Amino acid sequence: MSIENTDTELVGDEVVGNLARAALFAALTGAFAYVSFPNPISPAPVTLQVLGVFLSGIFLGPLWGGVACGLYLLAGALGAPIFAGGAAGMGVLVGPTAGYLLSYPLAAAVIGGIVHGGRTPVEPGTVGLVRLVGGLALGTGVIYTIGVAGMMIVQNLGPVEAFLVGAAVFVPAELLKIAAAVGIVRSDVMTAA
Amino acid sequence: MLSYDPGESIAHRLDPRAKLAVQIGFALAAFAHTSPRGLAIGTVLVGVVLVVAELPPQVAVWEVRYALPFVLAGPLLAAFSPAPPWIVPTEAIAPALASYRVLLVLVVSVAYVRTTPVRDSRAAVQRLLPGRLGRLCGVGVALVFRFLPVVLGDLSRARAAMRARLGSERSLAERMKLVAIAGIRRANGRADRLAVALRARCFAWNPTLPALRFAALDGPALAFACALFVWALL
Repeated sequence: MSIENTDTELVGDEVVGNLARAALFAALTGAFAYVSFPNPISPAPVTLQVLGVFLSGIFLGPLWGGVACGLYLLAGALGAPIFAGGAAGMGVLVGPTAGYLLSYPLAAAVIGGIVHGGRTPVEPGTVGLVRLVGGLALGTGVIYTIGVAGMMIVQNLGPVEAFLVGAAVFVPAELLKIAAAVGIVRSDVMTAA
Repeated sequence: MLSYDPGESIAHRLDPRAKLAVQIGFALAAFAHTSPRGLAIGTVLVGVVLVVAELPPQVAVWEVRYALPFVLAGPLLAAFSPAPPWIVPTEAIAPALASYRVLLVLVVSVAYVRTTPVRDSRAAVQRLLPGRLGRLCGVGVALVFRFLPVVLGDLSRARAAMRARLGSERSLAERMKLVAIAGIRRANGRADRLAVALRARCFAWNPTLPALRFAALDGPALAFACALFVWALL
């Protein structure tokens, strides 16, 4: 066995802190896949993965929020059971839900970019309601546009069919998640922390 | 929950990079040849993969069950037409082939996950992606694997506490909010402690990785991957 380097090149403090938070948020998004609530409007249960994407963008900003979602995808592709229903593996990233999953880093970056108004993170509790809801709505739009497009390609469906299979029953629950995300950002517990 | 299963199969002894190449090659070939003939050949190849990985087919299918509703709903909806004659089976052929292709690709990736330990996957990522990007991804992936069970525990404790306090009587958005707040607060606390620990242990860009070495056994796997790449281009 050979020794690769004799000098040690330390990772900067800022990167260490951000990497730790990004990895924890990726694990949180993965763990959210196991938290399902009965959906009052449709038979498909609500899982909180998308909420994890929202929160990554809001709390980590566009760059590290995107990194968190990228780590989530990479860990899932390499075998962490963190995709919907405890699935894992590279095949999921070319499966029916591939478009949704692959859109997460972009959606987190878009949400982070709008909420923080650029690349420098600000305190999420101080962001205006319109900006917050607008960012989350646009992020949801990104996820569903790429998700439905992915389903059209992977499953060879027309746009209407893909929308019915992959979006129609899930969209109402997203509104609840936006409401929950706004509640989280504005709650006293989070702003005091 | 799909995860690594220790064993002595040929696939367990292959280099993770060779197995990643086979998966990518298989996905490309399956997408390039979504015809009855192409998928028949693909089915035979999946059979070979299952034998090499010593993975029973029923286990593989059970592990991909999450995708079954989408895989079934696609062709069924495509066959339905809004006007008489209501059902047009020919419309469902292309989506059905596409769905079957997805199942084959998923089964191959199940074989990878069952036969590859996490640290080998991490080492493969770090070797395949260049420079600091690879190191960041390698460390990040390892941390996600490490913290997933911990964070899951946090969330289930939060839910148990919520149920004990009659939280199930609250609205859905309120319940999501409570669980997520508990999750974020614990995750932030853990991230802070982790960052301190990493700094204290001189977290470096150039750590020592487990040795990965291509062996004679990897030759056929790499040749198989190359053949799939070529077939995808034909």
